[in-house]
Amino acid sequence: MWRRLPTLRLLTLISTIGLLLAGCGTGGPAGSSGAGANGDTIVFGAAISITGKTAKEGEYTRDGYLFFKDKINELGGIKVGGKTYKVDVKFYDDESKSERTAQLYEKLINEDKVNLLLGPYGSGPTGTAAPIAEKYKLPMVEANGAAESIFSKGYKYTFAVLSPAKNYLRGVIDLVKQKDPAIKTVAILGENEPFSKEVADGAAEYAKEKGLDVVYQDLYPTGTQDVSALLTNLKGKNPDLLLGSGHLQDSLLIVKQAKDLGISPKAMGFSVGPSSPEFRANLKSDADYIFGATQWTNALKYNGDDPWKTPQAYNDEFKAKHPDYTVVPYQVAESTAALIAYQRAIEKAGSLEPQAVRDALAGLDIMTFYGQIKFDARGINIYKPMAVEQLQPDGKKYTVFPTDVAEKDALYPMTAWDKR
Amino acid sequence: MSSVELGQIVVNALLLSGILALVALGFSLVWGIMNIVNLAHGPFIMLGAYVTFWLYELWGVDPFLSIPISMLTLFALGFAIQRVLINQIIRAPLLVTFLLTFGLEILIVNLVNYFFKADMRSVTTPYSGTGFNLGGVRVPYIRLAALGLALVLVYALSWFLGNTRAGNAIRATGMDIEAAQLTGVKVGTIYALTFAIGAALAGAAGSLLSMVASFDPTLGGGYTQRAFVICVLGGLGNVLNVLIGAAIFAFVEVFVGSRIPQLSQAVTFALLVLLLVLRPQGIAGRAFYV
Repeated sequence: MWRRLPTLRLLTLISTIGLLLAGCGTGGPAGSSGAGANGDTIVFGAAISITGKTAKEGEYTRDGYLFFKDKINELGGIKVGGKTYKVDVKFYDDESKSERTAQLYEKLINEDKVNLLLGPYGSGPTGTAAPIAEKYKLPMVEANGAAESIFSKGYKYTFAVLSPAKNYLRGVIDLVKQKDPAIKTVAILGENEPFSKEVADGAAEYAKEKGLDVVYQDLYPTGTQDVSALLTNLKGKNPDLLLGSGHLQDSLLIVKQAKDLGISPKAMGFSVGPSSPEFRANLKSDADYIFGATQWTNALKYNGDDPWKTPQAYNDEFKAKHPDYTVVPYQVAESTAALIAYQRAIEKAGSLEPQAVRDALAGLDIMTFYGQIKFDARGINIYKPMAVEQLQPDGKKYTVFPTDVAEKDALYPMTAWDKR
Repeated sequence: MSSVELGQIVVNALLLSGILALVALGFSLVWGIMNIVNLAHGPFIMLGAYVTFWLYELWGVDPFLSIPISMLTLFALGFAIQRVLINQIIRAPLLVTFLLTFGLEILIVNLVNYFFKADMRSVTTPYSGTGFNLGGVRVPYIRLAALGLALVLVYALSWFLGNTRAGNAIRATGMDIEAAQLTGVKVGTIYALTFAIGAALAGAAGSLLSMVASFDPTLGGGYTQRAFVICVLGGLGNVLNVLIGAAIFAFVEVFVGSRIPQLSQAVTFALLVLLLVLRPQGIAGRAFYV
């Protein structure tokens, strides 16, 4: 048949070559904003999930990095010793796949010769990038990998500006206990991956500390399309508080299926999801009363030593630049914060030499619009507290915890599904 | 486990099998008749979901009413794709069809990602999540309607294949292409029709999925896999086997999911491997489509 159909051979050849090129293309540079890797520019490199499961959060990360880059370049650049350098961020799309992340970091270091590294989105990918940073002795400041497992291996070159996973749901538990001291039972659902597992375990530990009974705790596979089995199990236990620890897609699924099954706890809280605008957009009024853990909101009252100083100012400037964002998610803010940490560390070190920058980062203690940035011996920022937001029936989202900086009072308990 | 819990699990599995049957139906038709494993089946499902989503977002069209529209859209798309692309490789080795449909999958997903972005979408109507109680067991309306629709479409397809001229022509072409041609069947048109019907059914599945889950351009991949497993489980001999395959898949996933959730996907695929070794034609399958 091959001999008799030359057109078929030709077509197959062309399509194979085309597919190979397409395959190479999707792994190729997703973006870089100009100039070369050296000269008068400090180039930061990162592999970010622009497509795939965590594409949305990856976009937030990218936008946070680029927002700093544009601002700092406007202001002249970063001062290193006597010279001012411009900043560039070179990134590749790791398609939300941790295997790709490691490969792409090697590429950034060996081929693109970036000066310093920025983190990817997510604890899984960050976990595969950290050993690469360690191997090449290049510092990596990451803003989106909260799993403590990344920091339990004694790595010296990875630093996280965000609060660790174990603390994520603490705010929700504290808030609910404040509102209802008689609250007794909690059920925890978690995605079966490093970050979410830590959040779930941290929440369970903290709940027990606070005198709550963990009546159900289980994990579901990543990318699951159905959690009805777990929800059915937990329905029988009648938990007062339902906590979910996964990513946006899973949080949406849990709410939808909880409503399907008629599960109405007194409160529902998720580690990731509610702070993203998509949560409300997808669930409409089903999102009411739900709590979301957040690293940062624009309602907090920090006053920092950085180009924006306050959360509100950062919020306003970012929205002016990105009108398609109705709300500024914390992933954007913390990504910018990573670069602020770098800026101050580089200025302090007076050099771009990786070891000097690393040491300066280790000793950093600054206040920023994002909150305090200081790293403990492992490289985690345990000094910044987590906040809680709630989506309320007026269609808006409010910061409800910590109560001293809360915009509004939290609504509790959640009105049952069939009573709405 | 209490009887209410058990009852709920059974209901969940039953409702899930409806949706899964519809997911696998188009895939099974195309595989059984044309011997094409359409890796772009998942993206067709995803496109159906987007059609329903945009119709609801932009013009408030009720998602159930949008199903005929998504089916028609995907029918037209499937027809065009078959005529222009798939037809070129219709007698080629299986590897070539894999390659082409694989490339098609990447192309469609990336195009959708470019135009619609990677945002999570879902269709939440005022009646989302509502349901009725059957002695403590909760039956959500939307999933029940999805099961009903799936059954209607499965039986409609089965009837169509057995009782209409076009349907008979499709079956004949699947059995023996030369003999079918000898009896006057226009094979080119029949193949296009078959592929188009497969795509339309995928579109319907997508529309239903947009209501029960949230999706983004990558929705398709997992469902192509599930469709594949369901077809192997049920066997390709008959359209109705899809129901058997879907039921087995759903029950295993839900029951394992209620005991050891982390392993639910692993177990369903382990079942696939086991079946391929022990009974490759599927639980009820035969060598060709009848």
